Amino acid sequence: MPEFHRKIERSAIGFVLAIVVVASIGGFVEIAPLFTIDDTVENAPDMRVYTPLEQAGRDIYMREGCYACHSQMIRTLRDEVERYGPYSLAVESKYDHPMLWGSKRTGPDLARIGGKYSDAWQVAHLINPRAVVPESIMPKFGWLRDNPLRIDDLGEHLTALRDVGVPYTDDMIANATQDALGQTAPDGDFAAGVTKRYGEATQVRAFDGNPATVTEMDALVAYLQILGHLTGAAQAGVAVQPEAAQ
Amino acid sequence: MLAQLTSGERQLSIVVLILMAMVGLAMAAAGRGDPIGVHGFIVVVASVAMIFVMLSGLYAPEPSAERLDHYYDDPSKVGVILTMIWAMVGMFFGVWVASLLAWPDLTFDAAWASFGRLRPVHTSGVIFGFGGNALIATSFHVLQRTSRARLPDQFSPWFVLLGYNLFCVLAATGYFMGVTQSKEYAEPEWYADIWLVIVWVVYFAIYIRTLARRKEPHIYVANWYYMAFILVVAILHIVNNLAVPVSFGHAKSYSAFSGVQDAMTQWWYGHNAVAFFLTSGFLGMMYYYLPKRAGRPIYSYRLSIISFWGITFMYMWAGSHHLHYTALPEWVQTLGMTFSLVLLVPSWASAGNALATLNGAWHKVRDDATLRFMMAAAVFYGLTTFEGSFMAIRPVNALSHYTDWTVGHVHAGALGWVALITFGSIYCLVPALWKRERMYSAKLIEVHFWLAISGTVIYVFAMWNSGILQGLMWRTYNENGTLTYSFIESMVAMHPYYIARAFGGLLFLLGAITGSYNILMTIRGHSQAALQPSDDAPQRNLAPVAQPAE
Amino acid sequence: MEIGERDPVTGQVTTGHEWNGIKELYTPVPRIVFFFLATTILFAVCYWVLMPAWPLGKTYTKGLLGIDQKTSVDRLVKDATLERSAWTQKIDQMDFAAIQADPSMMKIVEETGHTLFGDNCAACHGTKATGGPGFPNLTAGIRLWGGDPKTILETLRVGINSTHPDTRTSQMLAFGRDGVIDSKQLADVVAYVRSLGGTTDGLDADPQSIAAGQDVFKQNCIACHGDDAKGKRDVGAPDLTDNNWIYGGDLQSVTTTVYGGRQGYMPHWEQRLSATQRKILALYVLSLRKVPQ
Ligand code: HEC
Ligand code: HEC
Ligand code: HEC
Ligand code: HEM
Ligand code: HEM
Ligand SMILES: [Ca+2]
Ligand SMILES: [Ca+2]
Ligand SMILES: [Cu+2]
Repeated sequence: MPEFHRKIERSAIGFVLAIVVVASIGGFVEIAPLFTIDDTVENAPDMRVYTPLEQAGRDIYMREGCYACHSQMIRTLRDEVERYGPYSLAVESKYDHPMLWGSKRTGPDLARIGGKYSDAWQVAHLINPRAVVPESIMPKFGWLRDNPLRIDDLGEHLTALRDVGVPYTDDMIANATQDALGQTAPDGDFAAGVTKRYGEATQVRAFDGNPATVTEMDALVAYLQILGHLTGAAQAGVAVQPEAAQ
Repeated sequence: MLAQLTSGERQLSIVVLILMAMVGLAMAAAGRGDPIGVHGFIVVVASVAMIFVMLSGLYAPEPSAERLDHYYDDPSKVGVILTMIWAMVGMFFGVWVASLLAWPDLTFDAAWASFGRLRPVHTSGVIFGFGGNALIATSFHVLQRTSRARLPDQFSPWFVLLGYNLFCVLAATGYFMGVTQSKEYAEPEWYADIWLVIVWVVYFAIYIRTLARRKEPHIYVANWYYMAFILVVAILHIVNNLAVPVSFGHAKSYSAFSGVQDAMTQWWYGHNAVAFFLTSGFLGMMYYYLPKRAGRPIYSYRLSIISFWGITFMYMWAGSHHLHYTALPEWVQTLGMTFSLVLLVPSWASAGNALATLNGAWHKVRDDATLRFMMAAAVFYGLTTFEGSFMAIRPVNALSHYTDWTVGHVHAGALGWVALITFGSIYCLVPALWKRERMYSAKLIEVHFWLAISGTVIYVFAMWNSGILQGLMWRTYNENGTLTYSFIESMVAMHPYYIARAFGGLLFLLGAITGSYNILMTIRGHSQAALQPSDDAPQRNLAPVAQPAE
Repeated sequence: MEIGERDPVTGQVTTGHEWNGIKELYTPVPRIVFFFLATTILFAVCYWVLMPAWPLGKTYTKGLLGIDQKTSVDRLVKDATLERSAWTQKIDQMDFAAIQADPSMMKIVEETGHTLFGDNCAACHGTKATGGPGFPNLTAGIRLWGGDPKTILETLRVGINSTHPDTRTSQMLAFGRDGVIDSKQLADVVAYVRSLGGTTDGLDADPQSIAAGQDVFKQNCIACHGDDAKGKRDVGAPDLTDNNWIYGGDLQSVTTTVYGGRQGYMPHWEQRLSATQRKILALYVLSLRKVPQ
């Protein structure tokens, strides 16, 4: 072997090619089949896309670096299932560009946080975590309540998401801004459109407690409250792989 | 430094800078009201400032042809200084972030200063700012010495170094504004990613062009590693960052991948950013400065071959160990785990090769803190890779994942290996670059060494304790078969360890500041005779060696 | 290969190359490296044979053991449930009083309830169940809807003002904002309420105002809070005569309450927690009570 190596180490181009080939194999074998093997992602016909407001909230979740402390991935371990609920399925993050599974749990897992607490608690907690959980080491995010949410460009966001594969319809894209307004104002004119496009179960509320304005707080809380509820697949026990179920 | 550039190179610089300024202007215009506009503005300011610098020397006389008798080290000099600046910045944010976990209100009541935004400033600051600059600065130095050839031109090294630092600045300022793709270690947004690709292509070109002009038929091991670093980081970076921007006027983009495929791509990237940025590149550094300082031959050329190709091949399979027990199909996890275990062998082979190289030089290790930095780095490298392979075992990872144990492992590698080998190498490099007999103060190197070692040990022990405690508390069952501790109790139990970690980090930061001072004083040349080693020059007269395969 | 000189320290020869003064020895690879390579690869191969491992286009090798993480955890959780059934069945079947009278059962309730409470309830009610602004103190008695075990169980099942179809609903009306009472009446009734025994920042209202406030209270509040202001359990209205406040007993807080109304939200736990877990929590909450119900 050393003799063969003597040869390639005399050629810069040869060495470069060798490195590229040797280094490409592993990633290719592990990533490419994830697109071709069918049971990689479970089937969940009830899976819905994020509303524009929820997607905006997701963007804020990334912007503020929540993923640095919170995972959204309940592993297939007994203690995680017993603490946080049914383990996460691949299909649950099918429309997540990118996924936010996380790598550190400074705070608890949030994969099933939706509906666990009230909007008011979420708002109070985000403004000052130590006001509701005195022991908490989570940062304050008070500005979210004061910042109006930018909604004029939500259609562009949905379009970009459609480009990467999320099935948003033209109708959804055209009405993205209205739907964001509608989802935060249950008594307003646009509320009906939201449930029409995203389903009856869509939560339409003044998430930050004030229906008059759409704030970043509205968006983030709307996102937190939908976590774990885009599909009921995990709760329904589809959790077992197709073959294993037989 | 400007006088070294030929007039052609000066003109080229100005053209490139004008192009950059125009792109910046376009970004600023299209991105009004969006962070990309601010970044456009930063690009314009940086380019225009550089244009003025260039103009000030535009009509300086042509450099004499004599310059070709020397290696081109100016970019390395600036690179070393940038390395130390980023070290202090990145570690300052590390200490701040660590303190926030112990005292969460130790911050300003402002968005930019919250934990989630500061943390990537720390990680990118140390990995890309500190680590990346160190790699660029040392690689130019090592490449020329081991090829006995001068860098091919004088423009592209500057383009790489300064362009790369522009990328780092865009990254860090972006985080403050909340610009992030949220992909760990690949957080910068699409336009910064594209810019990095351009810089990287030029970096690769410098490497290959210099190697083509080398005077020694064989490529030295250090260059194998530097080359693997450059090539593989390029592949990883391009694939993992594929994304569709919302518009040209938006900083925001959406990743091309989603869910499970995105997770695998991300950790294929993330793990191999560790492997090829934080490991391969720094092994290149070690393979040059350690034998040089020890005055010993590399212990085994044959071992070098095994470890190099073992690392290059096997690391790329190991990324899925970041996703054990998740919604990633188990077959991928199996491959990740098994390859991580085999990977230990080439990893230890390289650590062993380094330590065995010190045979016959152990007395120097005792007396010379610079060499001791590198020896300790090799030890920590061995420790970290052992720990990594251990943590890659699924049942072990069931405990360690999501906990501070991972953070402890990271910093055993980052502080113990990456930072120590860098400091050791820089203490060799600085006197060589500035033609000094030695560093300004050997005592201060000694002080730095002990600050760094104690800081690392305190940090790593604190995190092992907290991580394992945390992992155990999450899964402890009482005799009734129900969970013993709530999450919040585990969080409260971390408090003393978070304080200890912040303290350890502070010691490490103080060490870096001591080192920076020492370097500054060496550069200023206090009480030292200038030194001009006669053999430190490219071999101009020899034709490049015959290279059959090219 | 080209042979260089011999290194005096190790006795090995160099490869004959030199890079800026650095040489390499041609030392053979230590046997132990091959040994460990072989061992780790052997382990890997065995693992691949037994477990899911290699992709094959549209499927992958399933491994001889035929297990994977999903089936494994499903089984573990099921086994654990079965193992716990030794005592969970008792919890389900025994009535509250019997469990409360049985120290060994109460030990289980205490141990299990503690963590369940910490992971699900503490965020609002506090790790010690002492509540906080907007969230009732559960150690001071369950006084909104009532503290008998069945009632608590139902409260946990459906929540209060929650999204559950059977939710308990309650609302403190916005008397000030809706213009039901004017600002003088507001000040008076606040003074009266605070005179009932629960001020937290001292009472400095004049007796006349308090007396006027009593009238306002009679006209507007007794429907929910009762003639004696001790609250009414069927509408979830709290006792205003004790020293326990959900939203605070200082002048500012009480004024805000009566001006703008309140509607606390307690989530329902029917989907998130099992009936057994809810029963444990009800018992646990009762065991935390510091004052007699
Ligand atoms: C410094 C780390 C940190 C960051 C950053 C952080 N959190 Fe937290 N979070 C915590 C900790 C620790 C807890 C547990 C204590 C508590 O409830 O406050 C927590 C709790 C929570 C909870 C309650 C979870 C439960 O089950 O009780 C939610 C919801 C939450 N965080 C959301 C967020 C969001 C949204 C963001 C970003 C805007 C965020 N967090 C950022 C550390 C963090
Ligand atoms: C999102 C916050 C929140 C969480 C989580 C929560 N609660 Fe509550 N809980 C409340 C609020 C608010 C009230 C009072 C409702 C009102 O003001 O009308 C309440 C009321 C109650 C009551 C009734 C008090 C009475 O006097 O009748 C009980 C009992 C109770 N909670 C127990 C629990 C338990 C047990 C859990 C965990 C399984 C829990 N709570 C979780 C917010 C919460
Ligand atoms: C429709 C029924 C109803 C009427 C009428 C009513 N209340 Fe209430 N009140 C409630 C309920 C229900 C709550 C608990 C709200 C909660 O916990 O979210 C409450 C809470 C309160 C509190 C807060 C107690 C605390 O612990 O913080 C005060 C003070 C109060 N009421 C005073 C009044 C006064 C004064 C009036 C008359 C002007 C009045 N209420 C009329 C139902 C009523
Ligand atoms: C002064 C010394 C340092 C201190 C105090 C420090 C502190 C920290 C802290 C507090 C975190 C966040 C951990 C968490 O979220 O729980 C962190 C993360 C990280 N740091 Fe450092 N750090 C230091 C130096 C370094 C250096 C020199 C490097 C690299 C060369 C580095 C690389 C990293 C990485 C990669 C992470 C992310 C870890 C993960 O996501 O698991 N750090 N550091
Ligand atoms: C044989 C070599 C190594 C192996 C097998 C290995 C394995 C691992 C494993 C299993 C994890 C934990 C993943 C998780 O549970 O989330 C991890 C995390 C990490 N390791 Fe290593 N490691 C190795 C060497 C190194 C080295 C030398 C460094 C240098 C700094 C390093 C840096 C990191 C970082 C930064 C992370 C954190 C990633 C994140 O979650 O953000 N590793 N490694
Ligand atoms: Ca991480
Ligand atoms: Ca990126
Ligand atoms: Cu890894």
